Amino acid sequence: MLAINLFNGLVYGALLIVMCSGLALIYGLRRVVNFAHGSLYMMGAYLGYTISTQSNFWVALLAAPAVMALVGVLLDRYCFRLLQDREPLTVVLVTFGLLLIIEDLVVSVWGKSNLSVPAPELLNFSLELFGAQLPAYRIAVIFVGAAVALGLSLWLRYSKAGLFVRAASTDPVTTSMQGVNTDRLSAGVVGLGTALAGLAGVVAAPFLSLSPSMSADVIIDSFVVVVIGGLGSLAGAFIAAMVLGMVQAIGAVYLPDAAVLLPFVLMIAILIWKPSGLAGSRT
Amino acid sequence: MNLPRIGLTTLVALAFGLAVTSFVSSGTLLSLFTQAIIYAIFAIGIGVLLRQNGMVSFGHALYFGGAGYGIGILLQAQLMPAELAIVLTLVGLTALAFVIGLIIVRVPGIAFGMLTLAIGQMAFLMASRARGVTGGADGMNIDWPSTLFGLSQSVLLKPAHMFLLCWSVLVLVLFALALLLRSRFGSITEAVRDNEERARFIGITTLLPRASVYALSALVTGVAGILSSLNTGFVSPENLHWSLSGMTLMMVVVGGARALWGPALGAVVYFLFKDILGDYATHWMSIFGLALISVIVFSPHGIAGALQRLSTLGKRGAPLPAAARPAQAH
Repeated sequence: MLAINLFNGLVYGALLIVMCSGLALIYGLRRVVNFAHGSLYMMGAYLGYTISTQSNFWVALLAAPAVMALVGVLLDRYCFRLLQDREPLTVVLVTFGLLLIIEDLVVSVWGKSNLSVPAPELLNFSLELFGAQLPAYRIAVIFVGAAVALGLSLWLRYSKAGLFVRAASTDPVTTSMQGVNTDRLSAGVVGLGTALAGLAGVVAAPFLSLSPSMSADVIIDSFVVVVIGGLGSLAGAFIAAMVLGMVQAIGAVYLPDAAVLLPFVLMIAILIWKPSGLAGSRT
Repeated sequence: MNLPRIGLTTLVALAFGLAVTSFVSSGTLLSLFTQAIIYAIFAIGIGVLLRQNGMVSFGHALYFGGAGYGIGILLQAQLMPAELAIVLTLVGLTALAFVIGLIIVRVPGIAFGMLTLAIGQMAFLMASRARGVTGGADGMNIDWPSTLFGLSQSVLLKPAHMFLLCWSVLVLVLFALALLLRSRFGSITEAVRDNEERARFIGITTLLPRASVYALSALVTGVAGILSSLNTGFVSPENLHWSLSGMTLMMVVVGGARALWGPALGAVVYFLFKDILGDYATHWMSIFGLALISVIVFSPHGIAGALQRLSTLGKRGAPLPAAARPAQAH
């Protein structure tokens, strides 16, 4: 029982990593807490559903995030860039407006009923590990989460673009004075972050069903993660995502009645202890 | 505004409510107004926090639904008369908000908003799960006694009377807030909002005023929650859900939080438009989302801000020669 729960906690943590790295990247460059991130995830999942029924899951896994990347670039160009001199709070409210629009759009196109995407043939088996039957698809999700975390860390640490992103997150004005085109950089990063939301949606589709409420469920957990981790900090978000997945998994075994409350209790406790989150001071 | 003007406006506003009930006879229309006004009070609660503290709450439904559950549970227990239960609920909510406020107002900026979201959502989940006390996801009926403040329920629940009650409460809430914010408390909270560090330098303790504003805004929202539970006789976890907090916050932004009455205007506009749209209301979310974004982009201080700008323009736009003014006054 505990083993299966811990495993599912890992799977959920991995999904949150993919979600929250997008949120954290966008916050880092644009200082925007993107309330629409959950809706973008939902849009990615539904796009993935349509593409995988037309062709197959693997095409969806590539195509849906690609479409979402384009959406992200447009979002940055026609929304965040135009509003970059406004108070952060105003932009947050604009993303809340976007959330309403995207959710309505998704419901209009795909309807309100629950949809499901079957796991791809290739991963449609289970492995016997630690005395439990574990579906291979979920193991693959853990690998996707790990790959995103590792890939982003290496990219930020060792590539030139990564260096620019880190610089612009620290101080956008100085960075652009050094000759970095921060607008183009932001468009790319918001595109990447949105693509990651879409990727999370496609990856989640086979094990969480598609419904209009799927965005609200995940965005609140994602907020808890990025706030615990420290807004804008990728490493903090990675750690917090895993902690949250584990806390929920262990809570479901030992405190079944209070398990849903644990993430919030954790968040409140950490913010009282460190008001700017685990990773520090970027608020 | 000076004191006589506040008093006069209040009286005129109360009389306006009476006039509406005598001219509008349609029960559905009055019910729509009543609902709009209950949300107007809710929105004023969020607006006060934004105006006096500069903080945005994404979880104020906690106090809206919380008031409904508080009164529902107290009435179910049948320990006290309903009037006392109302007072006790409001006092309890305010105290709870003050304690929560002491903890969370220390968290800066947007993280504060996310924290309120988390606390509100926690209450939502608790209410949905505690089936024994709250009826779980089905919600609970509120057993109001047959008479309240000497009025029998059948009289009170007539659309016109309900409207008049809610309207008068709205006016009195605005009156009380206008008075309170003219006092030293108002200046202190504004000083803290504008620059907390500087306020500390001149010897103001900043934590207490901010927590007090948070508690005050919770109280106002709680009043709306009580009225809503009287109006519908029912409370469900939906009344605690974050989407309700978000929607009401949108009304605040559309209305404009600079003026005390701005959020109320936003709520009324919201309900009237929703009703006028009627058949298109399936796409209500998109329409409101677009309206919201346009207001934020083109009129950052909302409809109230735009109106205030227009009125000052109007005053400047009709220039009178300085010499002509005293002559006109006579």
